[in-house]
Amino acid sequence: MDRMTWQDRADLLRKKKVQHTQQKKEKNGFMDADDYGTVPMPDSFTFQAIPNHSNGGFYGPTGWSVNFEAYMKEYPVYVDPLEILCGRWRGMLIQHAKGWPQDLYPYEELKREQELYGITTGIGADSHFAGDFSIGLALGWGGLLSKVRDYRDLHGEEKKEFYDAEERIILTIQHWIGRHIEEIKRLLEEEKTPEIRETLEKMLRCNEWVIEGAPRTFLEACQWVAWFATVSRIYDRDGAGFNLDVLLLPYYERDTAAGILDDGEARFIIANLLLIDTHYYQVSGADIDGNDLTNHLSYLVLEGAHMLNISNNLTVRYHDNMDREFFHKAVEYLFIDKNGWPRFSGDTGLMNYQKNKGVTKGDARNRIAVGCNWMAVPGKEYPLNDCIKINVAKVLDIAYHQMMQGEDYSLEKLMKIFEEHLKRAVEVTAKGIDIHFKHMHKVMPELVLDLIMHGTLEKGLNISQCAQLCTVGIDGVGLGTIADSLAAIEQRIVLEKKLSWQELYKAIQSNFEGVSGERTRLMLRASERYCQGDSLGDKWAVRVSELFARLVKEQPVPEGRELIPGWFSWSSTIMFGKQVGATADGRRAFTPVTHGANPNPGFRKDGAPTSMATGIAKVQPGYGNAAPLQLEMDPHLSAQEGGVEKVMQLLKTHMDMGGTLININVLDKEKLMEAHRDPSLHPDLVVRVTGFTAYFATLSPEFRQLVVDRFVEGL
Amino acid sequence: MNNSFGMIADIQRCSTHDGPGIRTTVFLKGCNLRCAWCHNPETVDSREEWMYYPEKCIGCGLCSEGCYSGAKVLCGRKMTVEEVIRTVKLDEPYYSGGGGMTISGGEPLLQPEFTYRLLEAAKNCGIHAAIETNLTLPWKTAEPIAELCDLVMMDIKLWQADLHRKWTGGDNRNVLAGLKELSARKKPVIVRTPVIPTVNDRVEEISCIAEFAAGFDNVLYYELLPYHPLGQSKQLKEGAFKPEIFEKPDNSTMLKLASAARSYGIKVLVAGKEMRDIMDYNPKKESGWIE
Repeated sequence: MDRMTWQDRADLLRKKKVQHTQQKKEKNGFMDADDYGTVPMPDSFTFQAIPNHSNGGFYGPTGWSVNFEAYMKEYPVYVDPLEILCGRWRGMLIQHAKGWPQDLYPYEELKREQELYGITTGIGADSHFAGDFSIGLALGWGGLLSKVRDYRDLHGEEKKEFYDAEERIILTIQHWIGRHIEEIKRLLEEEKTPEIRETLEKMLRCNEWVIEGAPRTFLEACQWVAWFATVSRIYDRDGAGFNLDVLLLPYYERDTAAGILDDGEARFIIANLLLIDTHYYQVSGADIDGNDLTNHLSYLVLEGAHMLNISNNLTVRYHDNMDREFFHKAVEYLFIDKNGWPRFSGDTGLMNYQKNKGVTKGDARNRIAVGCNWMAVPGKEYPLNDCIKINVAKVLDIAYHQMMQGEDYSLEKLMKIFEEHLKRAVEVTAKGIDIHFKHMHKVMPELVLDLIMHGTLEKGLNISQCAQLCTVGIDGVGLGTIADSLAAIEQRIVLEKKLSWQELYKAIQSNFEGVSGERTRLMLRASERYCQGDSLGDKWAVRVSELFARLVKEQPVPEGRELIPGWFSWSSTIMFGKQVGATADGRRAFTPVTHGANPNPGFRKDGAPTSMATGIAKVQPGYGNAAPLQLEMDPHLSAQEGGVEKVMQLLKTHMDMGGTLININVLDKEKLMEAHRDPSLHPDLVVRVTGFTAYFATLSPEFRQLVVDRFVEGL
Repeated sequence: MNNSFGMIADIQRCSTHDGPGIRTTVFLKGCNLRCAWCHNPETVDSREEWMYYPEKCIGCGLCSEGCYSGAKVLCGRKMTVEEVIRTVKLDEPYYSGGGGMTISGGEPLLQPEFTYRLLEAAKNCGIHAAIETNLTLPWKTAEPIAELCDLVMMDIKLWQADLHRKWTGGDNRNVLAGLKELSARKKPVIVRTPVIPTVNDRVEEISCIAEFAAGFDNVLYYELLPYHPLGQSKQLKEGAFKPEIFEKPDNSTMLKLASAARSYGIKVLVAGKEMRDIMDYNPKKESGWIE
């Protein structure tokens, strides 16, 4: 019988992945979130939290570490003989936590307005920053343990609880790795196939070293990363990766020079790492001087991802000096695999991070794509990115209804009231952020990620207390809804006088009831919309984005923190929409608001992606946080017909214009529609829902509809 | 003719099937031919006209005050060169990969002065300019326009003159003469034939066209465009020109025709794909790869 190839293994693993996805769906129902790389949790696994508070929750370093230790004691191991790395996660400790302890750290005085403005507060939000993996790779688990113990001795009693907790965390992780080693040994006793035995033996040797020592080889480095990624997920769902092709390059080069690694195996190891978890990794990019970082490993990363072709979150950072051949290859995989990978970030727009106080050019270059819509400087920054949002569409709704209660109506007046409310919404949000920073270390210290942050172990502090960069992201929600509403008012009431303010108000209050209401709704919807190009909607989108950015940046915050504006809704457009009544863009009450920085679906008859890409480039808030371009398209062109070059031109132009992040799906319309009607027809179809990818079949019908609605044809 | 205005049927941004790169295609309204398979019948009449989609009507009864439901849509709008070029320039940053503006129709040569001025405006902005034409009008009309074009995409729909007249209502002598003139001026040209079953889906027919086109160095390639019944979904008023319905050509026919054409030593594309890639396109599917 022929020896099993790496590709044979990848094909079998992909099939297994589809089975796992099906099992997860059967067990958990629809999953409107990232696939996360999880495998199903056996029904036999149970966990009873050990509370240290009267509400049944656990808090602080001791509470979290003791529970982590207890949780991991029986946590299932995962070793698949087809793989070369091991470990997988299934459930999170944070699912057993009880949230913010209101009795200890109340913020009652903020709640009314937080609800009024549809604020996602971020208070108590976990992770959403990036560790510096080079710290962990240099020390290994044993080195980290020594570091914890050394600093405990240095700081004495005062910081003992923190260091004891960190020690408990590392010992727990090592114990869990040890259980995997036992499982590998057991499987080796049974395994007969020579090539499987070979990789199991490699896996065994690798883990017997990695449980204690700092990784020396490419395989060990990837296994260490896999362990860290897995346990940080188990702790609190952290999904931030690193610059994969840069950080791992020395290991790759050393191994290939020593003749212990070839590209085929390296590719499979990468594929295996991407199978284990959907952490966000950046590929390529530039160094501080703008020199291209693309290298041979960058290509292997793409090839490894293609080899497996499942859900992944690789981001290619496009920059002025990028290797064009690599860019071509990255775009080509959008066409070949049609599974929503990779996505692209734009160096020009992201370098605006330098405009924030205390940020250097080097920080801006190092601030890599490690989250759904967000970037962070590994090891240095604590941004709470994607955790804090203001439903700006709701703020406009409040302003509009307030104006209509009076007798004097105008766009200027509406904008004045809107600005007052928006300013207040930002103030309230900032106060919530203060609460978080003040107490988070006592509520939920980041005991796993703290291991690889700068200054945390050295000072005995949680990252929320000692980050070098506290550039906190605040995202606005509903830009397209707002811009189109203001444009429709200007066009139909102010310029054309086809509607009066009262007629519009009546239609909105009745949720566009009856034939007359429907006619008004269609008239509003037919107004000049955001992303049509030089339209009233485009003008209003720029004005609203500038206003939001200004108010966020003007908001004073204590302790050297900075607030950074962005536009992003995550996949919560349904939830945010439920907070907002009918709007002047012809949107019915409580239906979804627009996604991220995207326009309303159907923004142009020809759906021109160029028009959308230009419109979104113009509304970038300009401080390095993202207002992503989310693009679902059927270009009606194959890669061979010049499709790759045309998509490259589209992406490049958007990023040259300052675009920060592009989440793109190149899809066959027919396949998408079939999968929408009957998801079981395409169980392996992966789509990039927002910043994350998910199996289309696992999304709820509402979510599938959102993806379908955003779809544009042509290029 | 009003020299200041053109009658525009539509402007499509981000078009990728009307020439190289990312393009903006300006569809002019009015055509001198009546091709039986026409897929843009709304561009045939040179006047404004209404298109109807009754399934979208909400029954508000206020048609005269403006229809917003999409049930009644006006096709045709008078626009100045400046207005059109402003829209074309919206996508200017995307043209650097070889893209630009394409003037299509209808038949652009029926609005020669407007077409000329629009091309001139594009050239003044440094925008690559192409034209899609049936080239049936006399060369003296085509010449000044062709001079301004970076690329001419022309149809030779049928080789035999009598069949050309039968199926399109027009003569093909100017078409063939026009290609010679373009060749004499070394103007880059793409020659195209829409392949319509029962009309021209014969090896002899396509071979004659391919052999003729192969004789000119300025022809970049010869492209076969499989028929698609797109025009049938567009509903115009009673009495408006209505195309006939044909079958879609199947894979094997297209391959046979493409192979025959290629035997004359000319580069052949089928619906944008080069001949050598065709066999890989969708080998398991007998038909439908042209959809």
